[in-house]
Amino acid sequence: MSVLKITDVSKIFAGPTVAVDNFSLEVGDGELVCLLGPSGSGKSTLLRMVGGFERPTSGLMTIDGDDITQLPPERRPTGMVFQSHALWTHMNVFKNLAFGLKLRGLPKEQITEKVEAVLELVGLAGYGTRGVNQLSGGQQQRVALARSLVLEPKILLLDEPFASLDQHLRERLREEVRDIQQRLKITTLFVTHGQDEALAMADRIVVMRDGRTEQIDRPDVVYREPQTPFVAGFIGTMNLIEGEVSKGRFARADFRIDIPIPDGPATLAIRPEALDLEAAEAGVAQVHRVTDYGTHGLVDLDLGDGTRLKAMVAHPDLFSEGQKVNLKPQAMAAYRDNARVYRS
Amino acid sequence: MKQLAPALVMASGRRKSIPVRIPTDWTGIIFAVVLSAAVILPLLVVGVWAFTEVWRYPNVIPQQFGLRFWNQTLTRADVWSALTLSLQLSTVVTLLSAAICLPAAYAFARLSFPGRNVLFFSFLAGHAFPKFGLLIAIAAIFLQLNLIGTFWGVVLIQLVGTLLFMIWIPVAAFQSVDRRMEEAARDVGAGPFRVFWSITLPQAGPTIAAAVLLSFVGTFYETEGAWLIGAPGIRTMPVLMISFINNQMVIQYGAVLSVMLWVPSFIALMFARRVIGGGAFARGFGG
Amino acid sequence: MTDAAPAAPRPLIDSNDSRRPTGLLLVAIPVFLVGWLVIWPIINAIVRTLWRPDESGAIGFNLDSYVFFFSDQYSINNLTITLWTTLMCAILLLVICLPISLYLRFSAGRLPAYVQAMAIFPMFVPSIILAYAFIRVLGPNGMVDILLNSVGLPKIRTPYLTPWGPVIGLVWDNIPLTVLILLSGLGNVANQAIEAARDVGANRLQVFWHIILPRISNSVLVAISFAVLGIFSSFTLPYLLGPASPEMMGPFMNRTFREVNDPLNAITQAVITFCFCIAFGLFYVRSVARNQGK
Repeated sequence: MSVLKITDVSKIFAGPTVAVDNFSLEVGDGELVCLLGPSGSGKSTLLRMVGGFERPTSGLMTIDGDDITQLPPERRPTGMVFQSHALWTHMNVFKNLAFGLKLRGLPKEQITEKVEAVLELVGLAGYGTRGVNQLSGGQQQRVALARSLVLEPKILLLDEPFASLDQHLRERLREEVRDIQQRLKITTLFVTHGQDEALAMADRIVVMRDGRTEQIDRPDVVYREPQTPFVAGFIGTMNLIEGEVSKGRFARADFRIDIPIPDGPATLAIRPEALDLEAAEAGVAQVHRVTDYGTHGLVDLDLGDGTRLKAMVAHPDLFSEGQKVNLKPQAMAAYRDNARVYRS
Repeated sequence: MKQLAPALVMASGRRKSIPVRIPTDWTGIIFAVVLSAAVILPLLVVGVWAFTEVWRYPNVIPQQFGLRFWNQTLTRADVWSALTLSLQLSTVVTLLSAAICLPAAYAFARLSFPGRNVLFFSFLAGHAFPKFGLLIAIAAIFLQLNLIGTFWGVVLIQLVGTLLFMIWIPVAAFQSVDRRMEEAARDVGAGPFRVFWSITLPQAGPTIAAAVLLSFVGTFYETEGAWLIGAPGIRTMPVLMISFINNQMVIQYGAVLSVMLWVPSFIALMFARRVIGGGAFARGFGG
Repeated sequence: MTDAAPAAPRPLIDSNDSRRPTGLLLVAIPVFLVGWLVIWPIINAIVRTLWRPDESGAIGFNLDSYVFFFSDQYSINNLTITLWTTLMCAILLLVICLPISLYLRFSAGRLPAYVQAMAIFPMFVPSIILAYAFIRVLGPNGMVDILLNSVGLPKIRTPYLTPWGPVIGLVWDNIPLTVLILLSGLGNVANQAIEAARDVGANRLQVFWHIILPRISNSVLVAISFAVLGIFSSFTLPYLLGPASPEMMGPFMNRTFREVNDPLNAITQAVITFCFCIAFGLFYVRSVARNQGK
């Protein structure tokens, strides 16, 4: 079982654009780590560097202590599943899986045995003779996964593997992949820009932005205790309010709240579900729109200077457009200089 | 026809439904009839002549059918030498063309090097000038090099004719191979050469085969270069046909040769067009 | 890949590998062939006809061969018949192919498929076989004469060995590519654009004139350029089907070069055909290049 260690890796493209900036990460044995970030955050470039498809400008990558930084992809013990699955359409399913084994010079019986075992694992037993174009999108992605797994890679790399699938299939497949990963205890690095996927599958999440790490933590911690305003805004829905703190009091428009931090600018973060509303004649915010989702309601608010907030309420019928309300945050955090300075 | 069938089925299936009258496609029928007459009739006449022994004016149908002229044509020494020569020429030109063009096509598709675009479009130059004028200009140079009337002179001239096809079509083929397929092969342990052999080439294979086929058939029937550069020493099949037509020899010789040579090439070309597709065909010509 | 914004089609593995001149090496031979057997002959032809010894033997700028061409009535006649043939072919091709393409674009089913197959079929018939078939059908006592005679009509005046011979042959030969190019242009005309025009009350002719024609004008020009380049200096069909005098530029150049054994005047004629076609050639190259760039 294997450990992937990435130390101070940077990638600078001609341009020059810094795609990955001094990135370090250790993926423990059997762990599934998710690289999460918006487009252009460098997560795919990082994954491609681990796979050997890009060469780092600087830095070191090791698998179980062996330096792989300069190895070409064919000599790395990594298996990659591509977003577009990249199956070889001129081979059938069996041949797609057997190609890598054949290159390793395995005897025929052993190849057949291994391929059939892996097809069984991904739930495609008996599909060996099918052409890959005869398969559905979900089946194709399973074959792509099987193609990587059959070689028993030390590190499994997944590059947005479900991006081309529809919502329903995506949810089913991510559970399957998680199950297989748990069963095989295979060390996995997973790239996605979908927070649901990351929250549902990962042991740890790396939130990336502009080629740098914003936060590395367990999913629940990332959600509950975002370390930076970027993470706070990127994971889940979050109200981010820019304002000034003066004498322990945060102010934005007419909204005031006590925060025991030194004077200066600050960003206040409040989850919609942690923002209670209280109808008041002279409220600091005005209800802009009320949406009833049946189980709960969402109230859009305006602080009067264009700042928009969302609050989740149990009884949306208590609120109506144009109504003035006061804000009662049950939990919040404050950020300054890209770091959290206060939490309640 | 096809449009009528479902309507009939519907009408018979549900008695009460109002019969749908599909307007007759008169435009299409007129086009079909006129084009058939203009395209099929001439070839049909050639085909009939090939199997005719006696056909005197003004009979609509030949008086006597038979294979006598096949025998006569196929025993002529000049026919055999022209056929061998044409096959030799086409094979040599196609092989040479594949050998120099396919690596170039791969380079154009996958590598970046200085002047790539200019060089890529330079292959159009040969098609931007009236062909026979260009041939005369080339012939003037070959005259100084003593290449007129030689095998290799004709090879060169026909080789130039295949360049555009043999580079542009394979370039498109290589470009359409998904990079990720190649990367996936590297990922499972294939080296760069193995990737090319096992993934890139099979993926681009059918289109490249079609291009090779096109260049073989095109070279086989290439007339003007062979006529201008090759004569009098090099008599290819089309050059021989020209002299058959000009000298008004036995009519059936030309017919037999036409049928014999055209049918296999037609099958080959149909295959090529199926693979490349009409759209790509037209785009290659700038449509 | 949604990530990594810079340079989407990045080379496999390492961008540095591809900077090496391996690529140049791989394309060297075909590029050399184009340079040696296309570019150089053209430059050579122009220079040789303009820069050569005069009567006194001094090498200098000399227009004599061009002056001869344009003062020789026979050459002028040949040029005229070539221009006439090219013009007739271009007109006939448009008149024939535009309706076919329009029909094919706006109908579907088995009959249009058959019409398309027929229109493209001549592409697979080498011109030498076409010439032979032409003589057997339209030549003296050919199939048409036979059929006319059988229903008691007089013989036709055969176009064989008249200026109409090459015109008919060349049009036949050029129909497939013209139709394909026009069809590909018509493919760019959205059905919705036409439906919208019908919706605001345009009739078929108005739709064609105001909606379709502006969109395919480029394809029409490409088709014509391609046909003109092919027809202007065509050799096989005019040589076999056309009159001996005046003859088209193709056979004329061939005779000057081979039978009269006068390369200089043959090259002069070639350069003159280049000049007449240069606009079409440039337009054609530009369109293809632009198409490839898409």
